[in-house]
Amino acid sequence: MRRMVGGETRDPLTELRRGVLEHCVLAVVRQKESYAFEIVRALSDAGGLVTSEGTIYPLLSRLRRDGLVQTTWRESESGPPRRYYQLTSEGQQALDSFVGDWTRFRDAVNAVLAA
Amino acid sequence: MDTDLLVRDYLARLDAAAASLPVHRRAELSAEMRDHIEAALTEAGRSDEVTVRNILERLGSPEEIVAGEPQSTPSPSAAVASGSKWGGLEIASLLLIGLAWPALFLPFGLFLWLGMGVAGVVLTWASGRWSTRRKLITTVVVVALYGALFVVTYPAYRTEGPAGSPIVTSY
Repeated sequence: MRRMVGGETRDPLTELRRGVLEHCVLAVVRQKESYAFEIVRALSDAGGLVTSEGTIYPLLSRLRRDGLVQTTWRESESGPPRRYYQLTSEGQQALDSFVGDWTRFRDAVNAVLAA
Repeated sequence: MDTDLLVRDYLARLDAAAASLPVHRRAELSAEMRDHIEAALTEAGRSDEVTVRNILERLGSPEEIVAGEPQSTPSPSAAVASGSKWGGLEIASLLLIGLAWPALFLPFGLFLWLGMGVAGVVLTWASGRWSTRRKLITTVVVVALYGALFVVTYPAYRTEGPAGSPIVTSY
């Protein structure tokens, strides 16, 4: 289903993805510190989460700016140094709170859809 | 087709699309895309045209990527989302800075002139629409103009006394 918002066509899933995706990034780096390409791969492999891989990069920039992740440059065995992302305590809090919200949201939507 | 050319063309499109981003972020985004393409090629173990085209396809269009940058996403301050460089804050700041000069001729003109100039610069820095570069340029221009007036009028003020300078006509 598509609807018009502000003169352009938007897919409701695109909107939903945008809001959810940054928390998925936080969840990926909570498991282990990762560099950008690994994060992109982890999200792509989950299927259906990422349509354009490049859009993860602005999102990472925003998470850095907001202090939800921090980064460390490390040498890599192949190629140039890589920037590794780690979850900060603010990021951990944001993720915990999202997990609660998401669970309630998911259950509510499921309940309505199944009715 | 030359695969390097495909990548270069993609990065050039990205750079053009990113023209409105702060300089450092524009360069960083470009480097991130280069690293991504490099890593994807290593992962694929091939660098033929089909592989490169698929990698670029999966990245998405440069315009779409840039649209996700904080400056161009609708943010809590809806003003920024409109994309215009001119909101109430920016107009008020320039009005203050501009009107500070005629204000020199009002009673207490020197204080008005200084106060409005400072307030204008403070508002400039509070702007959510202007880049740091633009704010810096505005600040430097204002400080230079104020400095210039001081330099020009100070000797006149010392030698000719209160009647000689525009600052003093305000008293």
